[in-house]
Amino acid sequence: MPLRSVEFHVLLALAAEERHGYGLLQEVAALTGGELQLEPGTLYRALHRMLKDGWVAESARRPAADLDDKRRRYYRLTPAGRRAASAEAERLWRLVTVARAHRLLSRA
Amino acid sequence: MTEGTDVSCRSAAGAKADRRIAWWLVWAYPPRFRREVGLGLVDAIEDRMRARREAGASALGARVPAILDTMRNAPAEWMATLRATLGVRLKPGTTGDGNPPHEMSGFSRTSGGRTVIDKLMQDVRYALRLWKRRPGFALVALLTLALGVGANTAMFSIVNAVLLRPLPYAHADRLVVVWGRQPGNPRSLMAYREYDALRAQNHTFDELSVFLGQSVNLTGVSEPQRLLGNFITGSLFDVLSLKPERGRLFTDAESQPGRAKTVVVISHDFWERTFNKDDGAIGATLTLNGNPLTVVGVLATPFDSRTVPADGFFLGYDVYIPAGLFPVPGGLTNAGPSMLMAGRMKSGVTLSAARADFDVITKRLEISDPKSQAGRSTNLELAHETLVGDSRTGLMLLLSAVGAVLLIACVNVSNLLLARAVDRQREIALRAALGASRLAVTRQMLVEAGLLAAVSAGVGLLLGRWSLQALTWLRPPNVPIPAEIALDQSVLLFTAGIAIVVAVLCGLAPALRTSRPDVSRVLQTGFRRGSGTGGRTRDVLVVAETALSVALLAVSGLIVQSMMALQHVNVGFDTANVFTLQFRLPPAKYPKPEDIARFFKQTIERVQAVPGVQSVALVRRVPFSGNWGDTPFVVEGRTAAAGSEPRAGQNMISPDYFRAMRIPLLRGRDFTDRDDLQSPPVVVVNQTLARTIWPDDDAVGKHIKVPESPEWLTVIGVVGDAKHRTATEPALPQLYLAHYQVPLIFSSLVARTAVPPMSIANDVRRAIWSVDKDQPVWSVASLDDIVARSHGSARFLASLLAIFSGVALALAASGIYGVMSYSVTERTHEIGIRLALGASAGRVLREVVGRGLALTAVALMIGLAAAAGLGRLARGVLFGVTPGDPATLAAAAGLLALVSLAACYIPARRAARVDPVVALAEE
Repeated sequence: MPLRSVEFHVLLALAAEERHGYGLLQEVAALTGGELQLEPGTLYRALHRMLKDGWVAESARRPAADLDDKRRRYYRLTPAGRRAASAEAERLWRLVTVARAHRLLSRA
Repeated sequence: MTEGTDVSCRSAAGAKADRRIAWWLVWAYPPRFRREVGLGLVDAIEDRMRARREAGASALGARVPAILDTMRNAPAEWMATLRATLGVRLKPGTTGDGNPPHEMSGFSRTSGGRTVIDKLMQDVRYALRLWKRRPGFALVALLTLALGVGANTAMFSIVNAVLLRPLPYAHADRLVVVWGRQPGNPRSLMAYREYDALRAQNHTFDELSVFLGQSVNLTGVSEPQRLLGNFITGSLFDVLSLKPERGRLFTDAESQPGRAKTVVVISHDFWERTFNKDDGAIGATLTLNGNPLTVVGVLATPFDSRTVPADGFFLGYDVYIPAGLFPVPGGLTNAGPSMLMAGRMKSGVTLSAARADFDVITKRLEISDPKSQAGRSTNLELAHETLVGDSRTGLMLLLSAVGAVLLIACVNVSNLLLARAVDRQREIALRAALGASRLAVTRQMLVEAGLLAAVSAGVGLLLGRWSLQALTWLRPPNVPIPAEIALDQSVLLFTAGIAIVVAVLCGLAPALRTSRPDVSRVLQTGFRRGSGTGGRTRDVLVVAETALSVALLAVSGLIVQSMMALQHVNVGFDTANVFTLQFRLPPAKYPKPEDIARFFKQTIERVQAVPGVQSVALVRRVPFSGNWGDTPFVVEGRTAAAGSEPRAGQNMISPDYFRAMRIPLLRGRDFTDRDDLQSPPVVVVNQTLARTIWPDDDAVGKHIKVPESPEWLTVIGVVGDAKHRTATEPALPQLYLAHYQVPLIFSSLVARTAVPPMSIANDVRRAIWSVDKDQPVWSVASLDDIVARSHGSARFLASLLAIFSGVALALAASGIYGVMSYSVTERTHEIGIRLALGASAGRVLREVVGRGLALTAVALMIGLAAAAGLGRLARGVLFGVTPGDPATLAAAAGLLALVSLAACYIPARRAARVDPVVALAEE
């Protein structure tokens, strides 16, 4: 079952470290070279779904105090979320392999 | 403060606003979502707005994407929540909007797997498929309903703008118009000294004022102009809470008779038109009625007068002049009733408390000054009522008429849906027998009706707006319908309400029908359509629409008859080929009566010389022009208590007026040029006055006295009665004074012509200007037009009602035809058997027509009863016909019976021609 694009991007953005909402928006933009500019509503609906599915969780930890704005909520990847992300990555990889076999991919 | 801090202040305020906006936006999401991630979303929205600003976006540029984002995601989240609550999700983690299996709506045997929303959406798609399959049906149904909704939207917009919306003044609910009440006239003007007393002694008003709109002459400019002036006390500005746009307004002290300052306040429009919005207008001098007045201010218009009934009544003038400068002989303080009065009640005071307060004061006035105050009291009404009260009956009639049209349209559509439901009955029953939910079938019917209602409401709203434009163009001048009617919230709510009513009315009958099919009976009837199914419901619908249209037809008949009666009233004079215009001489230029009389005489001579003019005369008040006045009079040899003297309409005329108007001279003689300021005063009375005052005697030679004249007037002639204000007024006593003996500055000219009256307009103007080149003239019109204009509102009402009842009749006819034709088709088999068994075609024909006529007869009785009730409501606008006029009711009933006969006959003939072989072969 394919994962929704928004959700996969969010999972990827959380893979390296915990982030707060706006941080996630910026990271997703950075990951895609600015191609995917999520709006807050779209992001939070995805977060809400993944919170319910147990793929992400609110983090209790906060980064260093001087960097932190107290009110912010940080999100982290759960083990289930990590599994979902890697399953999707595997799936995409297989597709990419097929695409390459059919010379759809110019790069090696 | 440096610029930098200024900017940071502004951005701090902007940031605060951003946070508030973010909060509002998040409110659009479902509660659970807000609880779980709402705070984070607020932060993210705010952060994104800030980032956009920092990247150089404007406040708008930062906020619009946030709003769009919410508009996209919040409804989607609501849908997701609804799906989650109402149904089982197809596949966790997706929205389940894959392709549902293709199936006929309403026959799903399992409810699992699909949510309510899915089902509704499927019903909608199913309805659209049905429409696509039968585009004719859909188009007819939609168009019928859209026309009905459109007519209702347009009519309600007018009712809303005229009757429901408060006047756009501050505290409009406390604005009161005060009329003088005297025997025989509950709406007379007020005297200035009454205003003085009421203003000083009342306890119920914040402020009182008097005013009177009157044309004024503007001279000293390139061309003499007639302006619309309003002579007011300064307190009127306070009553209406008006403010200056430039300069100042004048005070009550500055407007007092005897001490009035030579100042004038101009309207915004006049400022723009004449001074090109130049501030130099303040302090400029305008010569009005020959008095140089200094412009002290420009009045700020509190509203767009085109959107307000009757221009808001108090405004809509070019110049506002102190009441003390009102041109009346002897000064305003000594003048009789000559002004309108308006006031603003104190907060919390009721109209009846104010009335009681005024009654005490007028009683006191009557005791202290019985001579002029006897029998006079006041009549207070809300200003809104004064403006629009007269149009209420007509507008409500029109609204009921379009309501009836819409109901008939609903009945027709309901019939169409019902017929289709019955067609599908076997199929439905079969499905039901196999276990399909009946609810599902009913729901599909209701969804289709709802969809019809929604689409037709949308189209109807557009149609309504367009037809409203047409209606405001066609509106007669004497109806207070504003030129521009905005689409406001009440209209939208009304249309939405109408749409719901339409959905219920169209969907109910078919839905009820299909919700209780008798499965075994329907299945037993075999494969042809069950005969008689849905018959009773359809009968009820036919009766309903026939009754509605006969009621509407009858009421329209009454109104149309009233209008025709109005046009055929003998007004007492010949309106054809009479040219009229009005003028007002500036008192400063014509200070003495002799000056005025000289102008009169010269004008008559010059106009008489214009080619095409047969006879010419001056008259102070042209009949039907809106100018009117009456007076008490004393009869020689009789005593009457002060206040209970006989009264008569009063007019001043020059010799030849009766000839120009073709009012017959019954006895005695007409005025001549020798009845002037030097000769003994004389009077001509009309037949009604002569008959009521001297029933057994010749009026000629008798003497009467009017307040304006200290001497006895000798009656020299009796003329025929002539209507003055409306064609509907009864014959009233009327007296004519000689204009040369009472020369007043305002007068009108009437000229009987041998050529089309308006063709001499320019020659007459030039003739008057050859007497005085500075004299403006206005209200140039033919007498025919003036009289026709006074019938404008009646004609407006009658023509609209005629159109609406015509539409209703056409709809009802097509409804009856539809039902009859359907029931014949349905009974083809049965008829075939009977014909095969020897029944005659004539008998079949009679039976079908007879059934239709029986229904019509029931409908006619209900409809006529309704018409009698409606007629009573319409009594106020009827003339020359009684609300229950048997001829009109019979004509309406007869017309409908004929239409219904025709609508039944065509299907009946088809029934009689049924070929038994073909009909039976259907089995």
